[in-house]
Amino acid sequence: MKPIDRASGNGRGRRVTRRRVLTLIGATASLPLIAGRASRGDPPVFEWRGQALGAEAQLLLAHPRQTAARRAAARCVAEIARLERVFSLFDPASELSRLNRDGCLATPSHDLRILLAEAQRFGALSNGAFDVTVQPLWRLYAGHFADPRHDSEGPSETQVAAARALVDYRGIDLAQGRIAFRRPGMAVTLNGIAQGYITDRAADLLRESGFDNVLVQLGETRALGRPAPDRPWRVTLPDPQGGTGATAGLDLVNQAVAASRGAAARFDPTGHHHHLFDPATGASAGRVLAVTVIAGRATAADALATALAVAAPDVAETILNGVGPARALVVLPDGSKRRLGNWV
Amino acid sequence: MTRSVAGLKYAWPAAPGLAVLLLLFVAVCGSQATEPPRPPLALGAAESRYPEVFPAATAFGPAEGTPPAAAAYREGTLVGYVFASKQVVASSGFSGKPLNILAGVDLDGRITGAVILEHKEPILVIGVSDRDLAAFVVQYRGLDIRDPVRVSRRPGRAEGRVDAVVGATISSVVFSDVILRAARAVARSRGLLGVKQALLDFESFAPTDWRALGAEGSLVSLRIAVGDAAAALERSGGRLYGRAVALPDPNATFLELHTGLATPARVGRNLLGGRLYNRLMGGLADGDQLLFVAGRGLYSFKGTAYVRGGVFDRIQLVQGERTIRFAKDDHFRVEKLALEGAPELRELAVFVLRQSSGFSAVQPWRLEVLAAGEADDGRAIFASFARPYSLPAIYLRAAEGAGTEAAAIPLWQDIWRERWLDVTILVLGLLALTAILVFQDFVERQQPFYEALRIGFLAFTLVWLGWVVGAQLSVVNVLTFSDAIMTKFHWDFFLLDPMLFILWSYVAVAMLFWGRGVFCGWLCPFGALQELTNRLAQRFGVPQWRLPFGLHERLWPVKYILFLAIFAVFLGDQRLALIGAEVEPFKTAVVLKFDRPWPFVLYALGLVLAGLFVKRAFCRYLCPLGAALAIPARLRMFEWLKRRWQCGTPCQQCALSCPVQAIHPEGRINPNECIHCLRCQVNYYDDQLCPPVIERRKRRERRQGARQTAAAGEGAA
Repeated sequence: MKPIDRASGNGRGRRVTRRRVLTLIGATASLPLIAGRASRGDPPVFEWRGQALGAEAQLLLAHPRQTAARRAAARCVAEIARLERVFSLFDPASELSRLNRDGCLATPSHDLRILLAEAQRFGALSNGAFDVTVQPLWRLYAGHFADPRHDSEGPSETQVAAARALVDYRGIDLAQGRIAFRRPGMAVTLNGIAQGYITDRAADLLRESGFDNVLVQLGETRALGRPAPDRPWRVTLPDPQGGTGATAGLDLVNQAVAASRGAAARFDPTGHHHHLFDPATGASAGRVLAVTVIAGRATAADALATALAVAAPDVAETILNGVGPARALVVLPDGSKRRLGNWV
Repeated sequence: MTRSVAGLKYAWPAAPGLAVLLLLFVAVCGSQATEPPRPPLALGAAESRYPEVFPAATAFGPAEGTPPAAAAYREGTLVGYVFASKQVVASSGFSGKPLNILAGVDLDGRITGAVILEHKEPILVIGVSDRDLAAFVVQYRGLDIRDPVRVSRRPGRAEGRVDAVVGATISSVVFSDVILRAARAVARSRGLLGVKQALLDFESFAPTDWRALGAEGSLVSLRIAVGDAAAALERSGGRLYGRAVALPDPNATFLELHTGLATPARVGRNLLGGRLYNRLMGGLADGDQLLFVAGRGLYSFKGTAYVRGGVFDRIQLVQGERTIRFAKDDHFRVEKLALEGAPELRELAVFVLRQSSGFSAVQPWRLEVLAAGEADDGRAIFASFARPYSLPAIYLRAAEGAGTEAAAIPLWQDIWRERWLDVTILVLGLLALTAILVFQDFVERQQPFYEALRIGFLAFTLVWLGWVVGAQLSVVNVLTFSDAIMTKFHWDFFLLDPMLFILWSYVAVAMLFWGRGVFCGWLCPFGALQELTNRLAQRFGVPQWRLPFGLHERLWPVKYILFLAIFAVFLGDQRLALIGAEVEPFKTAVVLKFDRPWPFVLYALGLVLAGLFVKRAFCRYLCPLGAALAIPARLRMFEWLKRRWQCGTPCQQCALSCPVQAIHPEGRINPNECIHCLRCQVNYYDDQLCPPVIERRKRRERRQGARQTAAAGEGAA
């Protein structure tokens, strides 16, 4: 008897994947349960695949005991589900949704307070290029282009100015155990950082459980250790122009990687209007085509990738150096590549 | 045949009344016919319904193994099992008919969902929709099969975790039993329960000290040095603020945290002392747990935000997908530990983890503490520290012994034990009724006493037996009983409802002694409802209609025909027969207390309304249960109702006062119709009503009067 396959997708009504840039290469990915070992003596790699944050998700655990790996993966899945309930924009009962609706949250979880503090930190670091309070702009543009009689030039300047007036990460008050917006109408999206945070939490949880060789891919990627003593974790970067060809492999050991590309979620067919807003202008950022960032933690990599996609190229190096060892590959609209940090 | 003029006068208005009644009945039947047909419950469809009971799974394997269950996969990973109860355990409903429930259980031993594939519960056929059933089984989603599940009849009762289908408690209990037994069997066979299958032993107590509690894992601790906290904050671009900044020694204690479940007596009583422990335990609802948290160092884990915000902002508990916050109201300050060897701890607290938070004492959890710092520009920066905890094995008792012991007790014994109070009240009520019937002569001679007794007993029958307990016998019981005799008979099925079992046993014996009237006249809640409302109506001067005896007599057979029709249909199509059994308004008026769709309510109210003008109109002509009882009641062995030779010829006094006109004009009491209310027997002794007794009284008075006159005469002489 054949297993009954259900239509994929868990029906939670999420938007299309914001960006799905990294995929795993090698024969490991094609086997369902035990992802195989490259050579005799390597530990087996347990693989879990599923959906997290509206995207395909994968955990790879190199560990001699498969049952222990299965249990640890199950704990991770529970943690992911727990954090989704905090950060989701689409679950009306999530803490983030309640904050956006009410403008304040009296009893936020630690996770939301930590992540908003991180978001403010990257906001300060990028001088506002990374800003989680761009949600009013998203609402404006999404609403504008959803109207069938929309002006293809985008919303009017006054509308943009009104939305932009609500954008300021410093307007989130995190003091005194509560969260409040300083201006009514403000709203937060954590799409540029929550995936990184959840990736880190899952990786930390696995490390605390004694799994030192793990690859966590939950929208962003974080590698702990290596799958075998002689090999690093290897992931691929698809073509930044969006084509199917030319992918570059990337070796990771105790690193996180995140990528950002405006074209991943565009409002109009030309791609002129897309989800990466420049808070300074209120329009979609257009100076950079795609960014890939490698950093120690996925939260930082995630936020930096968004920041570099928005910020002026001349300040990119400064932003990157603000968080310690990190490097980036920036693809400009003309196809040329800029390597920052010590990207090889 | 003699007929009173008064009878004629009221006979004609009765005919339209009856016509209205019949119209109502037809309307009800009509409205049923237009209801959309129920989808057939096919067993073959089970596989297509797997996703309903295991929504998280994306693929399912075949049902295989012992007991058979289908593996559920999510993205290629095993996440649980789906099973049909019929294939796993002896699965039959309250009716004794096969019952098949499809359910899923995940690897943590939680039920993922359940749907009823097949059932033949009579009570559930009408009035309880598929939606009600779905709403019932959906309550099982997320329940831990290691925990006892109680089906509660009264919604909102504290100890009940699952609300029964209204009016079908026993079926609900059986469904619950089947779901849990099957799930446990599948989980046990797949090794899912493992160590978690254990029962909790939180009662054992032995004095111990701080060190031992730590060594065995009952208490866990976390020490954060100032240097650790500073480093963690620095990673996020911040630094410590407050007192800690000025402190030069990075090895000084920023926070030393101790925590553990305090519900076990070994932990709680030792830590807090007997008095405080008992007081806290006494305040817990079923399923609540106590958590001990204590700390010292530069950083307060309590903070001050809870005073205004109501929730502690620096600690949270994480268990699986749950984030549990600590509310001010669930916080108890502890002044001093009662334990030897305990360190001096600045902050001591016990928190109540409410069952509603979803916290499970068995599953591992972690306590997270949030340290706050600041960045150069004054922004808030946080760092989180966590201490995992898992319940030490000493609090787990292997479930093998207890589990099998629990399984060995039949379900019905559990139910009887649980309802001992109802059983006691019912038995006392029946003893009282027996006394009334056995000592009827005594009762009948005291007319005011009889009236009070009668109204009192009917009120008991209607309010307690009917509305509170829902013990209304029905023709459906007759059908299922005869069906059980025809197929396979198990006392177990009938023992599942103690009220119905006792009542039916009593009625069966009473039928041999007194006839069917004992039930109809005394123990039928709907009968009581009609009689009490009629008495009220008479008090307000509502005219009473007596049908001419000729018509009355010819309407008697209607109920017999109804009963035979229902029975005949039952032999062919049980579901249809159960729809037909809705002729009885019992379920509407008594079991569901008029909380039903309006056609049913209208029909039941129509019958009560008719009963205001024609005493017990429904009992006389329509009640199929009365008919079903009247037939075997012909085996009656004793004659209790006394008559005089003058009865009927010429006296019609009793025939006129009989509430169901069961007395023929020639004076004979028809036992098939008699409800044994004893009204005619009260008349029998009434020296103001019964002509022969009046005659006797007058004679006596005359004699006395003559004697007195004579005495007076003698005196005068």
